[in-house]
Amino acid sequence: MDSTTKPMAASKLKAVDVSVFYGEKQALYDVSLNIDEKSVTSFIGPSGCGKSTFLRCFNRMNDVIPSCRVAGQIIMDDVDLNSPKIDPVLLRARVGMVFQKPNPFPKTIYENVAYGPRIHGLAANRQEMDFIVEDSLKKAGLWKEVSDRLNDQATGLSGGQQQRLCIARAIAVGPDVLLMDEPCSALDPIATSIIEELISDLQNRFTIMIVTHSMQQAARVSQKTAYFHLGKLIEYGDTKEIFTRPQNEQTEAYISGKIG
Amino acid sequence: MEEQQHISTAFDKDLLALNEMVQALGSLAIAQFETAIDALATQHVKTLDQIISNDAKLDDLEATIHEKALEVIALRSPHAKDLRQVLVALKIATILERTGDYARNIANRTKVIAQASNENIPGVNIGRMGQVAQQMLHDVMRAYDQHDVDLALAVWRRDIEVDHMHTAFYKEVLASMARDPNLVATGAHLLFIAKNIERIGDYATGIAEQVHFLVRGAVPEDSRPKADRTSKVVGV
Repeated sequence: MDSTTKPMAASKLKAVDVSVFYGEKQALYDVSLNIDEKSVTSFIGPSGCGKSTFLRCFNRMNDVIPSCRVAGQIIMDDVDLNSPKIDPVLLRARVGMVFQKPNPFPKTIYENVAYGPRIHGLAANRQEMDFIVEDSLKKAGLWKEVSDRLNDQATGLSGGQQQRLCIARAIAVGPDVLLMDEPCSALDPIATSIIEELISDLQNRFTIMIVTHSMQQAARVSQKTAYFHLGKLIEYGDTKEIFTRPQNEQTEAYISGKIG
Repeated sequence: MEEQQHISTAFDKDLLALNEMVQALGSLAIAQFETAIDALATQHVKTLDQIISNDAKLDDLEATIHEKALEVIALRSPHAKDLRQVLVALKIATILERTGDYARNIANRTKVIAQASNENIPGVNIGRMGQVAQQMLHDVMRAYDQHDVDLALAVWRRDIEVDHMHTAFYKEVLASMARDPNLVATGAHLLFIAKNIERIGDYATGIAEQVHFLVRGAVPEDSRPKADRTSKVVGV
């Protein structure tokens, strides 16, 4: 192989024939795709297309909805995440999630980050916890802004800072995968740019999946894009290809803002 | 297939306006070229002057197209075929403006020939060569308008005909110049005029490639047939 050629990314996760039902209603139909390791994959599509439902399959967040049933397999590092042997709480430490609206705990900045590691027993003493908190805040690009006020209430931070705090909180428990469900939809353009830059940084350490309504955001941050419509995966491929020469007419119409 | 509409009607209007401007530039370039080929035979100085002064209109329209394309990219963030449409409009506009430059150059040189009242050289093929290149331009602009890849490819392949004519004409003019030194000045201008026509044929194929890219998302994979051998002619 030519030394300038980027090696093919290995698959970190694999969805095989994933279907999701809310009671009688089917929300997702036989979705199969592979997610590359240490890269960003975006899920796009109109509201109700199933993209968030699909994202939530990767850390069993659908388990918390009583009427929800998931069929098919989600395989991470050769293990089926839907197996009864998998503890969803431990899974969610490995597969972290960041939501649409920043949702810090009503605690200090320090405690927000320390909360997860404490529950999972990741720090033996205060010194180790300090290290985890600092390291996570640095990785989330927030350290410089909060290092002198770690004991302030997290709710006093700006929206963009709160969202980065939520990313730091997810990172603190040492995940391999980060799921982001419209992480910038409540943020202004500058805060959005900062989060997008952070996502580009984080992809060197984590496998990231992001649901976004912003076509430009998907184009800017992800290497692969999946387009969903009415619960079906319509097209999945390199972001560059999807946004310049999509193969499917429905994808073309959606990303071009057309109705037919 | 009928094109789908954008949810944003302003976006549709912008793309339509861009397309109409490129078509208008195409009509102007074709008219300039056709008039130049006609005037090559008539050597009508007033017509030649008109071609020369008209060229500014093409320059202006090209600049307007660039401005509009910039606006569409900045304000509408086009993707997929929409994006290709904007890029192709930009590229075709540049090609058409240069086609206009060649038409003006043909007019300039014809004027020199006419004013020098030099003996004419029976340029048997130059009119015919001009007609083929004109037809290619007509067809390729129709292919662009109708997103017709087959027609674009037919133009793309037809350029070889112009190349053959150019090579034959080149040899013929060179032979005349060798026979009669009085014909050298006129002959030299005619060689440049023929080269301009040959380049316009090439430009038509460039537009054909853009039509292919617009519709299929890639330029044609095969290499284009070429037969201009004038650079290999060493004597007559």
